[in-house]
Amino acid sequence: MNSLVVEGISKRYLVPKAQKTQKTETRFDRLRDLFAIPLARELIGAQELWALRDMSFEVQAGTVLGVIGGNGAGKTTLLKVISKVIAPTSGRIQGRGRVVSLLELGAGFDDEATARENIFMNAAINGIPRAVALERLDDIVEFAEIQDSIDTPVMYFSSGMYLRLAFSVAINMQPSILLADEILAVGDLAFQERCLLKVRELARETGLTVLFVSHDMEAVSRICNRVIWIKDGQLHRAGEPEDVVTEYQNAAWEMLTSSDKPEGKGSSHAGRYGEIVDVKLLSADGREIGSPPKWEDLYVRIRFRTYRAKTQARCALDLFCKGVLVLRSSQPDLIWVVPDMVYEALVKIPASLLSETNYTVNVGVTLTRAEREEHALVVNRALTFMVYGADAREAAVGKHRMGLVDPTLEWSLEKKADVVRA
Amino acid sequence: MSSVPDRALSVSDAGDELWLIEPRQHGVVDRIRELWHYRYLWWYFASDALKAMYRRTKLGWLWLVFRVTAPVGISALIFGGLLGVASNGPPYFLFFACGMTTWILFERSLLVVTRSLERNRKLVTKVYFPRMILPLSGVAPGLLYLFILLLVIVGTVVYHRRREGIWYITLRPELLVAVVSVVFTLVFTVSVGLWTSVLQARYPDVRQGIRYLMPFWMYFTPIIYPVTLIPEPWRWLMALNPMATIVEAFKWGTLGYGHLHPTSIVISLGMILLTMMSGIWFFNREEASSIDKL
Repeated sequence: MNSLVVEGISKRYLVPKAQKTQKTETRFDRLRDLFAIPLARELIGAQELWALRDMSFEVQAGTVLGVIGGNGAGKTTLLKVISKVIAPTSGRIQGRGRVVSLLELGAGFDDEATARENIFMNAAINGIPRAVALERLDDIVEFAEIQDSIDTPVMYFSSGMYLRLAFSVAINMQPSILLADEILAVGDLAFQERCLLKVRELARETGLTVLFVSHDMEAVSRICNRVIWIKDGQLHRAGEPEDVVTEYQNAAWEMLTSSDKPEGKGSSHAGRYGEIVDVKLLSADGREIGSPPKWEDLYVRIRFRTYRAKTQARCALDLFCKGVLVLRSSQPDLIWVVPDMVYEALVKIPASLLSETNYTVNVGVTLTRAEREEHALVVNRALTFMVYGADAREAAVGKHRMGLVDPTLEWSLEKKADVVRA
Repeated sequence: MSSVPDRALSVSDAGDELWLIEPRQHGVVDRIRELWHYRYLWWYFASDALKAMYRRTKLGWLWLVFRVTAPVGISALIFGGLLGVASNGPPYFLFFACGMTTWILFERSLLVVTRSLERNRKLVTKVYFPRMILPLSGVAPGLLYLFILLLVIVGTVVYHRRREGIWYITLRPELLVAVVSVVFTLVFTVSVGLWTSVLQARYPDVRQGIRYLMPFWMYFTPIIYPVTLIPEPWRWLMALNPMATIVEAFKWGTLGYGHLHPTSIVISLGMILLTMMSGIWFFNREEASSIDKL
């Protein structure tokens, strides 16, 4: 049974033509703008902007559909159209049952009102009578774990409590379709985990359809049954989570590294002393890869060169997971390097060390000249990759192992005969 | 592909009902049904609009009382006391206060209703609910003002009874006309507000315009002066302003003074109906594209 059928949805915005930039603007231009006939400029210079273009897909009831794509690809617009917040320009959507959206944390929450009042207000927004909301109150409070703060204005809530309340309210409004936009980005790991499991459980048991927008590829591949990848307002790929996520990550990775010089925020990959040529992720047999499997060794290759003579180099990398520095590792010794030669540092990350999740690598090369002047070359977010396991969807559910890294530790358990009793 | 549901828009009430989203908004009847389904929301927005009137003030709700009594008292003093405008019978203050009740409801509400979409921008752009709830709940502060003014009027009537032994307002069937005139004020206010709230979302100039227009509108309404000041042949023109007839009807129903001509009533009712129908049509058609611009 289809829970949601999206047929050729497009959304066009008319935006005023971009103003001239400050630099090219002359004093005369500014004067003219000041006295220009009001409204006229707005009417003449409207520009079309397509946030969504002819998008079609169907979702079966009980599906957790991952929606992935870069910033500004149209993910949020799609969710807003489905939740009727904005009207499409063309196309149509058919659906079944109540749609509850978690578009933004705390949308529909009044900060000055208490948690209890907000629960009723949200119920009213979802068209649920007060009496029905009253029945749900206990469930909502229990899942959100805010028993003690139910009559506290929500502006005094921590962001975690806020998230718990928002999520708990949403899933208790008996939705048939739940729209979740990047809501789990805040909140502690334990609650994130509970939310994800709850979403899966509801999908499986009650046939809840979930549209889950996230940049957390690990979460997407873990809880989604299907994934769509939106690019420039169009449906780029749809399919099995592993396939789409892998392809998406490869593409994101290529974009980061394709420009012949690596880029990234706050990077200074080239300086007076030298430059980092490229950073690649390699498999054990030397292929460039995007998403490595957990059971294979993994190499990070850093290629750099120096412009100056009498220089020593040391390479290092930082491995991040969920914004946490997992480790920093650097080459133990300084190595003498000669100008205008490309050097290649290779660091091996052993198999079965990393968790099945997303990692980001920052790379640095320190060039020391004449043992005095130091200069650092840095590439932030040089690599972003996801480690996948034998079965990406089922692996982490049991949670017998969790954490930022997942090495295979040796365990032993034996029976000891002589217990000394006091 | 599943078949098209018979009814275009459904209220997402029962868990299994089909719904359809299309570029065009659906019929008025369906939208009103949907509105009814979301009626609980009216109270939230109404109380929010009320609280916004005195939020973060030390005197709190007392401001609501001042805001009504001060202008009415001062205006009555100037026009009745200093300028000596005729009231055609009752004490000027009572005449003026009765004229002001429906007007205050209209004027104060219209400003709140006009800003209703804009003021709830954050909610409107993130959560769906029938947007018409917002202009509808914008009349709440005006209703409270009306209530306060009614208390003042009752107090004045009792005062005059004590001093002069005359009941200027008595309980009689004509009072129902006053009640009806209040109902029509609400209908007219929301109808005008359906236009202005959508326009305000695009052009914040609208609110400025209304603010300056209101005093003029008031002078074209027989509040300060009795309608008899207008020559008979021109009174039908005045009825093009429904508030003129509404104010007269309220005075007629309460004080028993007032000139209600059938032609005026028909013209004013026609204007109200026209505003209401066009307002609903316009709001339905333009709400979506206005929200894009919020």
